[in-house]
Amino acid sequence: MAQQMKTVAVWFILLLQSITYGERTRDKMYQPIVGAACFRRLNGTHQIGCSSTYSGSVGVLHLVNIEADLDFLLTSPPSPPYAPMIPPHLFTHRNLLRLKEAGPDIISVVLLINRNSDKMTQFSHELNCPNQYSGLLKPNISESATCDASNPPNSWNPWGTGLLHQDFPFPIYYIADVNETQTLVNCFEKFNNFDYESHALRSLCAVEVKSFMSAAVNTEVCMRRTNFINNLGSTKYCDPLEGRSVYATLYPRNSPENLTTEVPRSVNTAEKFILVTTRLDTTSMFDGVGLGALDSLMGFATLTQVAHLLRQLLPPQGSLPDPRRNVLFVAFNGESFDYIGSQRFVYDMENLVFPARSTKSTPISFENIEFMLDIGTLDDITNIKLHTLITTPLAQDFLKKLNNYASSPRYGFNLDIQSDVGIQIPPTSAQSFLRRDTQFPALILNAVPANKYYHSIYDDAVNVGFSYANTSRDYISLIDVSESKNYFNATALQMKVANVSSIVAFALYETLTGLQYTGNKVANPLLADEFLYCFLQSADCRLFKASSYPGSPSGLPLPPMRYISVLGGSQESSGWTYRLFGYLLSQPQPSVAKENCTNLPLHWVAGINGTGECRLTTQSYMDALSPAFLIENYDWRSGKYSTWTESTWSQFSARIFLRPSHVHKITTLTIGIVVLVISFCLIYIINSRSDVLFDDVPASNAAFSRPTAC
Amino acid sequence: MDISKAPNPRKLQLCRTYFLTGFAFLPFVWAINVCWFFNEALRKPPFPEQSQIKRYVLYSAIGTLIWLIILINWIIIFQTNRADWGATADYMSFIIPLGSA
Repeated sequence: MAQQMKTVAVWFILLLQSITYGERTRDKMYQPIVGAACFRRLNGTHQIGCSSTYSGSVGVLHLVNIEADLDFLLTSPPSPPYAPMIPPHLFTHRNLLRLKEAGPDIISVVLLINRNSDKMTQFSHELNCPNQYSGLLKPNISESATCDASNPPNSWNPWGTGLLHQDFPFPIYYIADVNETQTLVNCFEKFNNFDYESHALRSLCAVEVKSFMSAAVNTEVCMRRTNFINNLGSTKYCDPLEGRSVYATLYPRNSPENLTTEVPRSVNTAEKFILVTTRLDTTSMFDGVGLGALDSLMGFATLTQVAHLLRQLLPPQGSLPDPRRNVLFVAFNGESFDYIGSQRFVYDMENLVFPARSTKSTPISFENIEFMLDIGTLDDITNIKLHTLITTPLAQDFLKKLNNYASSPRYGFNLDIQSDVGIQIPPTSAQSFLRRDTQFPALILNAVPANKYYHSIYDDAVNVGFSYANTSRDYISLIDVSESKNYFNATALQMKVANVSSIVAFALYETLTGLQYTGNKVANPLLADEFLYCFLQSADCRLFKASSYPGSPSGLPLPPMRYISVLGGSQESSGWTYRLFGYLLSQPQPSVAKENCTNLPLHWVAGINGTGECRLTTQSYMDALSPAFLIENYDWRSGKYSTWTESTWSQFSARIFLRPSHVHKITTLTIGIVVLVISFCLIYIINSRSDVLFDDVPASNAAFSRPTAC
Repeated sequence: MDISKAPNPRKLQLCRTYFLTGFAFLPFVWAINVCWFFNEALRKPPFPEQSQIKRYVLYSAIGTLIWLIILINWIIIFQTNRADWGATADYMSFIIPLGSA
């Protein structure tokens, strides 16, 4: 019987639980909106980006379909402040500046919504001249000598709006999800989009965005405040942009260094390196969004594939005509923000601290660099140019080699690489080297700019026209030239990457061996397919798995973030790049068993079958933190090094709710005050007439009986 | 403590101690002295120590006023110029505001 009662009780409680629906008042009032916020960055002289007010900025939703809707908000807003929801094709430099001018009293929040994106023809938030104030500068002025900002069509980013470098007095929130956008639009239609005369008198659907930024003014101020410690402890206002560049050599270096730290390091002048570099990072206006598919992933994919191809084609170092020659591949991080990675590389080379002592190898200096081949943006592979500052036999010779393979009927690449000599060199890593010494032998491969979405959230797989072939075939082995055409048509992205990689790799092969490449093997477009899938669609991919330790946790089913970020940021892309170099640029060691393959440079990777194999690796990390943060008492305004920092923030959030009208708010407050006053009066009256109300009440201390002893 | 219960010499002693303590850059002590002994100095029926208490209260009041003027001026000057003074102002501050110059 007791058992039965117990069962009944349990059922009753469960029933109660299912019918009571506990919801907080807060959850009834607000509906959260998922999106990405624009945040604040600072350099030596300015702050850029956005910030909300401390408690969050609130604005009434207003859908902008045409420019006239904006005019309405700016000229006769019935109940400001407003939060315009702007589709990408109206998110232009002109419109945003008009909103900025109106000020936070009229426009308090801006929402960028993913609607009518087919009407968008261009969307680039970078300047016309990326890295305009660093790199190779005009004499005596801190402005790029390699790009003319006053002539946008002829600049390196003709579609640039420069919005990334504007400081906005309101938060900007990007809502990528179509359903979230629909929620906002529905709320706007239901409560706001009628009878605009009475806006000031009724409740309106409003959005609250919280993205308050701690830092302000410029890097000098926020770093000073961050480093300033008082009794209460220190507050962090901003962090320097900091990441890791990844480098690897084609052959393992054979230049050991004495470990004693007392002796200054010295360079082994016998070593010779060909430097092959590219950019690892990208950026956009919004936190965590932006793949930089066309702007830097193409170059990065090409570098990886060139490295892999050379690794497989070249004979051992000892049998080269000059056995002291090697190739150093570097993927620089933070190049989007005034060449952080390459500036640091140059600085470290000058100070003989690259590579770090922990690598137990001699430092590499400029004496060791034979020449540099920098792979820039490859927007249109039919229009690639080899840029140099001055005509040199080296450049002419290398161009001849490139074109020899590019136009060879044997491979059918059908490309023609033009020469471009002069001061108009693209904004790539090579500028950091040329700035130190204009005579530095730098060759830059860069296509004529054609990316209308440079440094924006829309530079994605669609922008590059990538579709994953997902063939599950062997993508590691080189492929025969005739076979490579079986999987993709000639215009496929994978073929473009593979073809450019083959051309560059063959030219480098010829430079190193002194012999023309006559083989039939070319770069495998399936490797490009896997590589692009990993970086554009999902880090949970075959290539990343193959280059990780067997059985290690797979990547997230999202593309890795390639923004440099700050110390303690995710650093996903450099981590994956490190592993990729460890797999694609390493020598298999079939004779080494797993238990002996534990110490670097030996590295155990899963391999294409996932079974595990031992590899002799050469890759390593290098700090990508601007030298400005290392030099004591650095003059932040000198413009010598990158000074970018990122403000700290406590949260990003957005939610919608019904904002009561002004009249409503005042009424509520007035009623409250009246009630307060009345209650005081009432208490006073009651208190003064207490004897009438409570007659014969004894004094409060009468409750206690008097001590009887007295 | 309930000042009304203290004997008059004790009141004078207290008032003097508070007045002297105020010289240690403690204007609040003077302000308290003024509030606390205001009734004793001016409103109570005369008693022998009252004239001395009155003097201390008056001096404390003057001291408080001077301090008040100095502080108000300094606060206005500092708050209006803090952003322009840059590093100097930051080093003077105990709490630096977030998100502004």
